Amino acid sequence: MSDIAKMSFEEAMKALEGVVRDLESGNVELEKSIALYEQGARLKAHCEKKLKEAEEKVAKITLGPDGAPNGITPVEGL
Amino acid sequence: MARLARPNQGERADLSTLFLTHDTGLSHVTPAGHPERVERLEAIFAALRAPDFADLVRRTAPAAPEAEALRGHAETYLKAIRTALPDEGWTPLDPDTFMAPTSLEAAFRAVGGAEAAVDAVLAGEARSAFVAMRPPGHHAERARAMGFCLLGTVAIAAKYALDHHGLSRVAVLDFDVHHGNGTQDLLWDEPRAMFVSSHQMPLYPGTGAADETGAHGQIVNLPLAPGTGGHEMRAVWEPALARVADFAPELILVSAGFDAHRDDPLGGLNWTEADYGWITHAICDLAEDCCEGRVVSSLEGGYDLAALGASVAAHVKVLMERSG
Repeated sequence: MSDIAKMSFEEAMKALEGVVRDLESGNVELEKSIALYEQGARLKAHCEKKLKEAEEKVAKITLGPDGAPNGITPVEGL
Repeated sequence: MARLARPNQGERADLSTLFLTHDTGLSHVTPAGHPERVERLEAIFAALRAPDFADLVRRTAPAAPEAEALRGHAETYLKAIRTALPDEGWTPLDPDTFMAPTSLEAAFRAVGGAEAAVDAVLAGEARSAFVAMRPPGHHAERARAMGFCLLGTVAIAAKYALDHHGLSRVAVLDFDVHHGNGTQDLLWDEPRAMFVSSHQMPLYPGTGAADETGAHGQIVNLPLAPGTGGHEMRAVWEPALARVADFAPELILVSAGFDAHRDDPLGGLNWTEADYGWITHAICDLAEDCCEGRVVSSLEGGYDLAALGASVAAHVKVLMERSG
């Protein structure tokens, strides 16, 4: 899947691991190495965004207005 | 036996900076769209036509004898690339690296230019030198062409200074954005050569981690995070150059790549011309402390033509300023 924005966290992590493996293998062409790094950076940013969204969701579950758990508040976009 | 020029009566004489190149650097043609192209050398020639460079002493880079390459490479490898040399068009050696009919002569003139510069600087004919040839050399391993490189020019010149001139200690400093894996391979088990490389990591060729230190602890790798610039570069090079000073080299060789520039299409660092000026001054400071200012610098990468011309100009201008 090439459209990073549509990837799940798991898909993006798997793709990122592949990029890191390729970069560390020494088998990537010099000319293409920077593009591969940039793809890795976009995947990393996407993974971080997904993680942040998940953290916000957990925060909504665990912290009610009085500081005590009070159920689940839906979070936009999830 | 070392033949090192000594300054007269404790005073340092004014000496020149040499500029060595050869037309085969312009006939080593790569396929259309290849970033390591003839125009790189033309951009350097154009930049050094400015009046600031009128005092550069320009010389033709001689071809090194075939046997000189054996200082760094396996005989079987040299035979294989000579056999693979095409009569026309190109022979690909890996997905990045191509040989045109005159490519091997150009590579031997890159080596010969660096060795002639070592001769001149050690004889006291010049203080410093810049060798502008292509193909570059720092990715070529003992038995493998890679990353646009055929012969390990600077590592071979280091071994020439040690074994032919009888020096005891030589430093090789590499500030190309890519790790000098070939130089590291050729000098891995050479205790008389200290090799320091800064490079973006992760990036091609994937080597150059800080824990790669050579068979004698004489290799220093300085990986730099993508997106970093001159501040971070200075922070790693200052202590590294202090370590080189402790090694007390009698000659400093430089693998001068200019692809850490912020405009370079193959790198992701943010160096500027001023950073190339800074690191050249820092290298000259070290050379003055250790080895009477002797610096021989050879072109490696740098793929944005305007940035390459301006950065080489900044580098050579400092070499000239520090020669007098």
